[in-house]
Amino acid sequence: MTPPVPADDPFAFLGHTGPAARLVRDFDWGRTPLGRVETWPQSLKTATALLIQSPVPIVMLWGEEGVMIYNDAYSVFAGHRHPALFGSNVREGWPEVADFSDNVMKVGLAGGTLAYQDQELTLHRKGYPEQVWMNLDYSPVLDESGKPAGVIAIVIETTDRVLAERRNRAEFQRLQALFSQAPTFMTMVSGPEHVFTLVNPEYRKLIGGRDVIGLAVRDALPEVADQGFLDLLDHVYSSGEAVTRTAQRILLRWRDQGPLEERFLDFVYQPIRDEDGTVAHIFVQGSDVTERVRAENHQRLLINELNHRVKNSLAAVQSIVTQTLRHATTPKDAAQAITARIMALAGAHNVLTRENWDGADLRALVESAIHPFCGPGPDAFRLSGPDMRVGPYAAISIALALHELGTNAVKYGALSVPAGRVRIGWSVGGDQLFRLDWTEAGGPPVVESGRRGFGSRLILQVLPDQLQGQAWIDYRPDGVAFTLTASVEAVRDEAT
Amino acid sequence: MARILIVEDEVLIAMLLEDIVTDLGHHPVGPAMRLQPALAAAEHEDFDFAILDINLAGQQSFPVADCLLRRGIPFIFASGYGQAGLNEDYARIPVLQKPYDPGQIARMIEGSAPSV
Repeated sequence: MTPPVPADDPFAFLGHTGPAARLVRDFDWGRTPLGRVETWPQSLKTATALLIQSPVPIVMLWGEEGVMIYNDAYSVFAGHRHPALFGSNVREGWPEVADFSDNVMKVGLAGGTLAYQDQELTLHRKGYPEQVWMNLDYSPVLDESGKPAGVIAIVIETTDRVLAERRNRAEFQRLQALFSQAPTFMTMVSGPEHVFTLVNPEYRKLIGGRDVIGLAVRDALPEVADQGFLDLLDHVYSSGEAVTRTAQRILLRWRDQGPLEERFLDFVYQPIRDEDGTVAHIFVQGSDVTERVRAENHQRLLINELNHRVKNSLAAVQSIVTQTLRHATTPKDAAQAITARIMALAGAHNVLTRENWDGADLRALVESAIHPFCGPGPDAFRLSGPDMRVGPYAAISIALALHELGTNAVKYGALSVPAGRVRIGWSVGGDQLFRLDWTEAGGPPVVESGRRGFGSRLILQVLPDQLQGQAWIDYRPDGVAFTLTASVEAVRDEAT
Repeated sequence: MARILIVEDEVLIAMLLEDIVTDLGHHPVGPAMRLQPALAAAEHEDFDFAILDINLAGQQSFPVADCLLRRGIPFIFASGYGQAGLNEDYARIPVLQKPYDPGQIARMIEGSAPSV
C-alpha cells in the first residue's frame, strides 16, 4: 500500500500528526452516525481540526448521539477509557455521568451554553470510582446552515487544586483552633506601624478586651507606647532579630478610664519575613506571669523578714548575754540565767509564731512565761483577766518581765517556799487603761536590794518606756507586788 | 563624751544599746521606742548623735530621720534588713547591722562629726 498523495488525502484538513490526529485518521467513521470522513460537512472538519490543534483538553460531542472526538490533552484526562472512548457516544462512553451528559446535549443542541466551576463528578476512568473536580464549558457547534449540530466542551480538571485548597483550609482551621485555644497570648502585628492583624482570646484578655484589629499598637494601646515596647517592636522590625523578655513589667489599662495595672509578662517578638526576605510582621507570643512574679517577690520579702528576725534575735541574745555577764557572780550562775532568759524569749516567740506574729492571746502568753516556775505540786499561780490580745512587741516585753519576776520569786519571794502563791491579774479600765498586777503572798518578807540588775531595769524602766506607761514595785511585808499600767493601744502595739 | 539618742523598739536591744553607748563613754538619751516619742525627742532633746532603728513597732522611722537631717544632727540607721530597705534620700546614711559590734558603733560616732 502506497502512502496517499497529500493533495488527495481526505484527512489533510487535520493539519496535525499527533496521536489524536492519527486516531481520527484511522477510525472507522463509517460505522458511526458521522459516516465516512469524505461525507463530513466542512463545519465538522473545521471544528475537528480546531480542537485537534489545541493544547487545552477539548472534546466535541457531535450529533444527537454525541459522538466523541477529542484531542491529545483530553486523552490524558480520559485515563484508561482512552482510546476506546474515542468515537463512542458520550452517554455510553461515560455511563456513570450519562444524566449529566444528556443535559449537556439537550442544552447545547438547543443553542445554549453551560459553564461549571469545580464541578464534582465521580468517574470510572481508572477502573474504580474516583472523585474528580472540573471546570467545564460547553457551547454549541453550528453546521453550515447555522443550526447547532454538536457541542464542544473545554474540560479542565481541577481535582489537584480543589484537594489542595481543602487541605489548606483544614490546615488553616487547625492553626486557627490552635491560635484561639492556645493557653498563651498570641498576636500578629504587621508593617512598620505594627498594625494588629491577628489577636487570640488570651491576648484580648491581656489588654482588657479591647478591639484592636486594624489599629496600630500606638493607637490601640496608648499606655504602652512610652514603656519601651514600641521601640522594641521597631527594633525587631528593622533588625529582623527576635527579642525575648522574662518577667517584663508592664502597666496596662484594663478598663476604660480605669487605673493602670501592673502585670509581668514573659514574651517573644518573632519577626516574620515575606517571600523576598524582608520583615513584614512580628509574631508576639507569651504568658502573663504576674502571679508567679508576685509569689517570687513575696518569697523574697519573707526571706528578708526572716533575715530581719534572725538578726534581731541575735541582737536580743547578745543583749541577754552581755547584761547577764555584767551582773553575774559566778560563770555557773551566768550560764543558768542566760539559758533561762533565752528560753523565756523563745517561749514568747513560740506563742507569737502560733499566730503568725500578728500578736498573742495574753493568757496564753502568761501561761507560757510562768511555765518554768510551775512545780509538780499544787499550782502556785492564780490567773485572772479578760480575753485580750497584745501586740508582738509588747508580748515579748511582758513575757520577759514575767520571767524576771518569776526568777526573783523563786530565789527570794513567794515561790521560794511551798506555801507561797502568786496572783497574776490583768484588766482594762473604762478609760482604756490596761493594768497588769503580779502579787506574791505566803512567802518570806523581801527587802529591796540596792543594786539595779537586768530584771529591775527591764520591768521598771525599759518596759514602761516602751509601752509609754508606768510600772512600780512594792516590797510589802506579805510579798512583792508589781504593777504595770499602759494604754490598751500601746499594749496592742497600736500606739504611735 | 557625746549625748547619743537611742531610738529602738525592742526592750532587750534598747538596753543593749544603752550599755554599749555607756561603755563607750557616752551618755545615752532615751531610749525612744515608738514613733511619736522618737519624733518628740528628735525635735526637742539635746543630743549630738542618734542611733535610729528603721522599724518602730511596724512603723518606719523616716520622719525622725528627716527631722535629724533638718536639725543637722548626725545619725546612723540600725536595721536587721541592711541597706536594702533604704531609698535614695538616705543612701549616704550609714546602716548598722544587728547584732551590734561596739567597735563599729564607736567608729561611726567618731566619724560622724568633728564636733562630737
